Amino acid sequence: MLPFAKPADLADVRSVGIPRALLWYRYGTLWETFFRALDREVVLSGQTDKGVLAEGEARSVDECCLASKLYFGHAAQLIGACDALFVPAYANEGRLASYCTKFQSLPDLATTTLEREGARTFGVFVDHITERTTARKAFQDLAERFGARPKTAVDAWKEALHAQQRHDAALARRFSDSVERARQGSGLSILFVAHAYVAHDPYVGGDVVRMLEELGAHVIMADEADRQRAWKSSFEFSDTMPWAPNRELVGALLEALDAVDGVVLASAFPCGPDSMTNDAIARCVQGKPMLSLTIDAQSGTAGLETRVESFVDILSYRKKGGYLHG
Amino acid sequence: MVDYARVSMELEKLRPPKLTGTRPARREKRDRHAQTKVAFFRYGYYDIAFKYFTERVLDAEFVPLPPATRRTLELGSQHSNDFVCAPFKHILGDYLEALELGADVLVQFTGPCRLGYYGEVQESILRDLGYDFQMLNFAVVSGKPATEYVKLCRRTVNPNVSLKQGALEMVTTFRLIECLDAYHDAYLSRAGFAIDPDEPKRLQGSFYRALRATTSRAEVEAAYTAGMEALERMPQRTPADPVRVGIVGEYFTAVDPHSNLNVEDKLLSMGVKVARMLNITNRNLRYNEKNLRASAAPYVRYDMGPTSTLTVAAAKKYAEEGFDGIIHLKSSGCTPEIDCMPVLQRVSRDYGIPVLYLSFDSQTSDTGLDTRLEAFYDMISMRKAAPRTARQAADLRTKEGGDR
Repeated sequence: MLPFAKPADLADVRSVGIPRALLWYRYGTLWETFFRALDREVVLSGQTDKGVLAEGEARSVDECCLASKLYFGHAAQLIGACDALFVPAYANEGRLASYCTKFQSLPDLATTTLEREGARTFGVFVDHITERTTARKAFQDLAERFGARPKTAVDAWKEALHAQQRHDAALARRFSDSVERARQGSGLSILFVAHAYVAHDPYVGGDVVRMLEELGAHVIMADEADRQRAWKSSFEFSDTMPWAPNRELVGALLEALDAVDGVVLASAFPCGPDSMTNDAIARCVQGKPMLSLTIDAQSGTAGLETRVESFVDILSYRKKGGYLHG
Repeated sequence: MVDYARVSMELEKLRPPKLTGTRPARREKRDRHAQTKVAFFRYGYYDIAFKYFTERVLDAEFVPLPPATRRTLELGSQHSNDFVCAPFKHILGDYLEALELGADVLVQFTGPCRLGYYGEVQESILRDLGYDFQMLNFAVVSGKPATEYVKLCRRTVNPNVSLKQGALEMVTTFRLIECLDAYHDAYLSRAGFAIDPDEPKRLQGSFYRALRATTSRAEVEAAYTAGMEALERMPQRTPADPVRVGIVGEYFTAVDPHSNLNVEDKLLSMGVKVARMLNITNRNLRYNEKNLRASAAPYVRYDMGPTSTLTVAAAKKYAEEGFDGIIHLKSSGCTPEIDCMPVLQRVSRDYGIPVLYLSFDSQTSDTGLDTRLEAFYDMISMRKAAPRTARQAADLRTKEGGDR
């Protein structure tokens, strides 16, 4: 082996554990396909429940956001169930396409909190701006650490990327179809604006979506919109907003605003990027009723139900022609 | 009798003495000064650098802000989201007061966390409140070449900004910041032991006054030398082994005394030798992320956030140098610094050094802080005393054994 080649320190890892939390909801397909292409078994943690949250809280600082507590709950589930945990760090994917610093610090947090319990972790660091590391390069380097030949590494990345692109395209199609249907249809349609890990986690945003659907609303998920297009159109809203996921949500919101009857903004308490973005959206994006929800680790849903119900009531009154004509 | 007398008063040397030499073209020096009134936010003692930057680099008018009051934070909190980080609220309050004082331009910087979005959101909040002003928001041009910065300054503050003078004075501004930080480091290590407890503040005040009046590199250096000499001459009684505390934390809260309710002064008044590596010099002017991170190994593998590497590297350094305690300061909800806490806990475990975690929001009463600091001080000073007595006892025993 040449002295500057990367050592294959992960060659003995046969099964890779991935916590079902945070960026898994964005890049899960890519990661899973990638490791399968390298001939590794992928172990995914189970669905979120109360136990996961309790495990996560025990391993987090009180002030952390709900979503990151859940991450460590899911990670804890995987200790012992796999050879090593995949904990990637995403800092940014270009200028004004950053992530919350939480995603950047995950590997070091995992080392500090999980390795004491005997878990082995490994990751990648994606940082276009300062380190000039693209996801492609980061993952191909990772493949070499698994002992893959360069050709295999390139193929694994390509396969994973294409799988993710197919997955994203299907979601984007679903989003634009839903928006189109909302534009023509007569039923109540609501745009649900939340990070993917809030919107699609049954324990966090799932309850809200279920309630909305039970009340007869058609729910459109903003995080499913075509990411690149949404990112571009977010510049109509902000010149300096740093975070890619928030930009995509705003872009999707601007795209679908005319078509829907109302908007629900949901965030996990206390989300840093949302603390500024959702406030700015509520002030500046006008024309449709908007409900801002902050979801905390409380177990009761009665308070949530009241608010969601009354919001849907407002929307259906409006749809009928307003309170005066109802 | 004097028939003819004439006094020649050509005092400006406008031509060479040679009779037939070429005359320089008489051209008025272009006045590049702009009347635009520029205001920054309050940030510890850096208002001196902000003033120098405005007057010498931008060549515009600087709006000095009086010390912050309870009203400042109340104003800021009133117009901010509840769970946005505390610096946002402080700065918004500062801006509102600056606009009341007649500022035309507000300045905001950028950073890799929520700070990068501060300027735009604050501008939109202030505009919704009906204020009319320009925003010099460096987030707009971050990551772009330096010419974009110049264009932005020309567009918002002064269309006649001189590139030559600007670049030269920018270097002096950086030097000024280095002087301020170096003085503050010396202040933190000495002020706790002054024989006259009021003298350090007095010296610091006159140093800041001298720096505020500077207009060139030479004056900055002279003021710095004089200030440092005065501080070194200050009569003091330093114990042989003083209690030493290192301060680490978030960029704004750990530095700005109004935001952290004067933690440093409180510690100094207890007779503590304080150190704080976090300042603009170490975080911006002489910052090398990778090398700093290497010094923080094995605690940090990747860049964890804007000040995280510095926080952990400083904590590790204090632990290695045998400090008695570390105080971690941050605004409540600061994600990158929250993520440093588990790492600091690990440093604390490995080196056996106590760490006090303090999180600041929009509270203005410091009684709770006093109690915590006193308890922490008692704990670390007792801890410091304990091993020595134990060691002395052990020494005594061996001596007795030898005698027998």
